[in-house]
Amino acid sequence: MSDDSLAWLGTAPIPAAPYHDPAWFDLEREAVFRRSWLQLGHVCELPDSGSFIRREIEALNVSLLIVRGRDGEIRAFHNVCTHRGTQLVEEESGRCGTFSCPYHRWSFGTDGALLAAPDFDRFFVDKADCALPRVALDICGGLIFVHLGTPDKGLRDDLGPYATMLDGFPAAQATTFSEYVYEIDANWKLTYDNFQENYHLRFIHPRSGAPAVGEDNPFGYPVKMGFHGPHRTQTIWTNPDPAPKPVQAQSFGRAARFAMADGTAGPHSRDYLALFPNFFILGSPAQPFSHTVWPIDARRSRGVIRLYWKGKDDCASRRYAREYAMASARDIHAEDRDVIEAGQRGLNSGALKHIHFQAQEALCRHLFNAVDERVQAYRAERASATPPPVSRAEAMA
Amino acid sequence: MTTLLPTGFEALAPFADRWAIDGSIARAARRGDADPADRAAFFAAAAPLLDAALTHLDRSPIDALPPAEQRLMDMMLTLAHVSLTEEILGDQEPAHARQRHHMRITRSPAGA
Ligand code: FES
Ligand SMILES: [Fe+2]
Repeated sequence: MSDDSLAWLGTAPIPAAPYHDPAWFDLEREAVFRRSWLQLGHVCELPDSGSFIRREIEALNVSLLIVRGRDGEIRAFHNVCTHRGTQLVEEESGRCGTFSCPYHRWSFGTDGALLAAPDFDRFFVDKADCALPRVALDICGGLIFVHLGTPDKGLRDDLGPYATMLDGFPAAQATTFSEYVYEIDANWKLTYDNFQENYHLRFIHPRSGAPAVGEDNPFGYPVKMGFHGPHRTQTIWTNPDPAPKPVQAQSFGRAARFAMADGTAGPHSRDYLALFPNFFILGSPAQPFSHTVWPIDARRSRGVIRLYWKGKDDCASRRYAREYAMASARDIHAEDRDVIEAGQRGLNSGALKHIHFQAQEALCRHLFNAVDERVQAYRAERASATPPPVSRAEAMA
Repeated sequence: MTTLLPTGFEALAPFADRWAIDGSIARAARRGDADPADRAAFFAAAAPLLDAALTHLDRSPIDALPPAEQRLMDMMLTLAHVSLTEEILGDQEPAHARQRHHMRITRSPAGA
């Protein structure tokens, strides 16, 4: 990819404040996280009617309850009892016919409707007006996305050509997954950016990342980049002359054979998608992982990494291949954490007004541009909205 | 004593008590905490048997392995972790173990 073809992204230094400033982060909460489709689960977590998961989105103080209803449909609700706001569900996941509030036992169906409440005839409201607050939910490639605002586009529309790509990724057929999670003292963009550039490969992953670099591509730069709206994609370069170690070769060889047999080895084995704002997924059949970086505050985040698998591990080889794939992906991810935190400490000092991205960090620049655009639009919107005076009667209505 | 390990895998017997480990979390932890010489010895003994072990184990239903087979399976699953130290990281292992510690395994298909 020529540097010229990326000129539309700009070449100017990037302001440093968005990577550490709490005031900027407050704007991002609303401008980015309340206004984007967010990836937070997979359909395989909700196999039966009544299956549910609870998910916390700390940046927005939101707790969500995602449920497969009796009718088979998956819905998302705020995990908030409509009586007086108590959080309804404490378990992280489970299966349930009705959700009953611990406080005064209002109980809700899998479709969010209020079913019953003790002494309800003494209230001054209709049951129909007491359903759990619904949140927009959509599914693509087996992955569950929610939108906490009013989406101006459906998920597939928003993803454009990447929706079809996602359908072809191994996760689309997954029935189970491995997961590991890390906490990090770093801004979500700084963390996320680490995983969308290869400039650091040879320095941070000299041994674990060796298969991704080679003599004619010492930095392991990608073969291709692509952009669609705020989303982006990259095709990973393959070393034509890899030198895998014996156990490594056997392990990935097994994983690849299973992927072929399962039909999860699609055309995108070297592609990844970086979906705005905070989701990343790789199409590799041997190590089909996704990575979501959740902001907690301006300088703290959580990464959730999953390797998605089709079918049970029904034989020793398959179980082994999955264990190896997770252990080796975890090794590589572990190597990045320290250096990201070191970057954050440097930025927190306020010593820099700007940071720099080279052409091979175009995906990082693209993320910043997309965030900046949304933050500026939100700022402008707030500045032009003069709030009408609110009378006491209106405020209480 | 009944057979500790299936026939053909006797060479792994000295390692069974320390390296036949149940659960991905415990396996990952043992890799990091292990005595380096012990870990290297286990790898040297187990890696050449990986293919034969999986071929043997694939003949039995995975959820009903006899005790000797289960032990062998657990050892091969630990080998998956240990091989990363021995084959890939080498002397980077001590620093690496500290970083890995932050990556908490929360789920694996056969039980974390
Ligand atoms: S707050 Fe839930 S029943 Fe009262
Ligand atoms: Fe990295």
